[in-house]
Amino acid sequence: MAFMTSVRNLRSKLPAVLTRTCLVHSHATSFGFKDVPEEDKSRLVGNVFSSVASSYDLMNDLMSGGLHRLWKDRLVSELHPFPGMKHLDVAGGTGDVAFRILDNINSISRRAVKYDPADNLNDETQIYVCDINPNMLNVGKKRAIERGLGESHSLVWVEGDAEALSFDNSSMDGYTIAFGIRNVTHIEKALAEAYRVLKRGGRFLCLELSHVDIPVFKELYDYYSFSVIPAVGELVAGDRDSYQYLVESIRRFPPQHKFAALIADAGFQKVQYENMVGGVVAIHSGLKL
Amino acid sequence: MNRIVVKRLVVPLCRNTSSRRFLALPPISSRFSTDSSPHFSHQNEETPTQTEEEVHRHGDQSFREGERGRGVEYEDEQAQVLQAALRHVVRLGWSEAAMIAGAKEVGVSPAIIGSFPRKEATLVEASSIWSNDDLARSIPGSAFPAIAKNAMDLLGLALPPNIPTSFKQRAMLVDEIWHAAGDQASDVDWYLKRTALGGLYSATEIYMLTDKSPGFRDTWSFLNNRVKDAFDLGKTVQEAKYLAEAVGVGIGSSLQGFMKRASRG
Repeated sequence: MAFMTSVRNLRSKLPAVLTRTCLVHSHATSFGFKDVPEEDKSRLVGNVFSSVASSYDLMNDLMSGGLHRLWKDRLVSELHPFPGMKHLDVAGGTGDVAFRILDNINSISRRAVKYDPADNLNDETQIYVCDINPNMLNVGKKRAIERGLGESHSLVWVEGDAEALSFDNSSMDGYTIAFGIRNVTHIEKALAEAYRVLKRGGRFLCLELSHVDIPVFKELYDYYSFSVIPAVGELVAGDRDSYQYLVESIRRFPPQHKFAALIADAGFQKVQYENMVGGVVAIHSGLKL
Repeated sequence: MNRIVVKRLVVPLCRNTSSRRFLALPPISSRFSTDSSPHFSHQNEETPTQTEEEVHRHGDQSFREGERGRGVEYEDEQAQVLQAALRHVVRLGWSEAAMIAGAKEVGVSPAIIGSFPRKEATLVEASSIWSNDDLARSIPGSAFPAIAKNAMDLLGLALPPNIPTSFKQRAMLVDEIWHAAGDQASDVDWYLKRTALGGLYSATEIYMLTDKSPGFRDTWSFLNNRVKDAFDLGKTVQEAKYLAEAVGVGIGSSLQGFMKRASRG
């Protein structure tokens, strides 16, 4: 019920927002295909995620045919987590990526009989899950309890903004953001923050819905995104607009090589990206030195 | 010296991955590479017109641009981590733990290991290169321990995706041996000698792996015999070369004659 209300709020606010943008051109940013004033984007995005939080994972499964699980697995294997790691997962409220990292590290510790005994490493693994949206964090916390990780000191839930992180400089070994950076108002600021909090040798990894360039597949994908996804969104989550926003925001996100350029401009080295399913999603990575 | 050598290893590794990927990108984005997983991905190879050289040039460009941007190159940093890691191998094995210890020693986050193209295999490669250097120093003394160590490493490398690197290292090792033996040849013989020694080395290495005789006595005699063969082979190949030259001259002149006749007619 709560999310229905917020959708209604969103619907009623959008036209007003739109008329305002016609007058104010200077600081407009994108909200889906619509241009909205910068100060409104995070609120509008917040509304979207508050409204979809409860059905978020179900919708991910439906929309990607379960593939999002594989993509996240891939992200984590690219990250190559290690015991004792300090990791920050931004926009990961539901804990999907964080749980995977933790599982991965636990399986390493179990497997690797030979762990460095001389290491003063009993420094504990710590995964910070940072999300701007408390509703998403609540979903994650609930799932942590279901997984028996309720008391785990390895998971730290933090409400925070990707553009102004509350973590110290050079405090993290890894930074991941999965399906999140698209929703950030200033991508550059988020990247600069990622760079700031990472240690030397730390890695930035971003999983994001991206751009398809393969001719026939592109048409199919467009049809699927613009016709099927909003319909499914309405059917399952009772919220067409939020999913309309979702597919539009994907198209507004910079293409792979441009986003890679932004990452390099933030100071990262060895910037690479990997397309999956022809570019439906891409994993970008960078190394801080 | 070792740093340079390890770098020599790391750079082509990185370049390998990038040059392959650059195909998928328009020139403007030459700084970046894409990776693609064979399982569920398609590359947009839309610019197959790029020649091999162009691709490599893009690769080089990317490194220059990277250097310009920052003081430290990641290849340098990776090489340092690998070197430091090698010192922990005795204690921790060819393991991620050794690499983590190495990273900590040089003061970078162990997360950097995730950026190595082949993780532990990179460490083994670095070690073979490293002991190539040792080998160069130890000849004409006893080269065998170094070779033995290399053999084990190369065994470790004999996993399918790593084979090309293994061959490349073999070539470098063979080069070191000839160099240490005082051979400065740069003519056709260069290839000949290296091919011969490469084969010799491989055969001996394989023999040695199953040799249980004290002090690898059997291996030494095996090697001696093979060396004898190799020099005979060298002679044979030299003769074959002369023959081929003679034949080549013959064909060339008759072809010349044919052309002359054709133009006249």
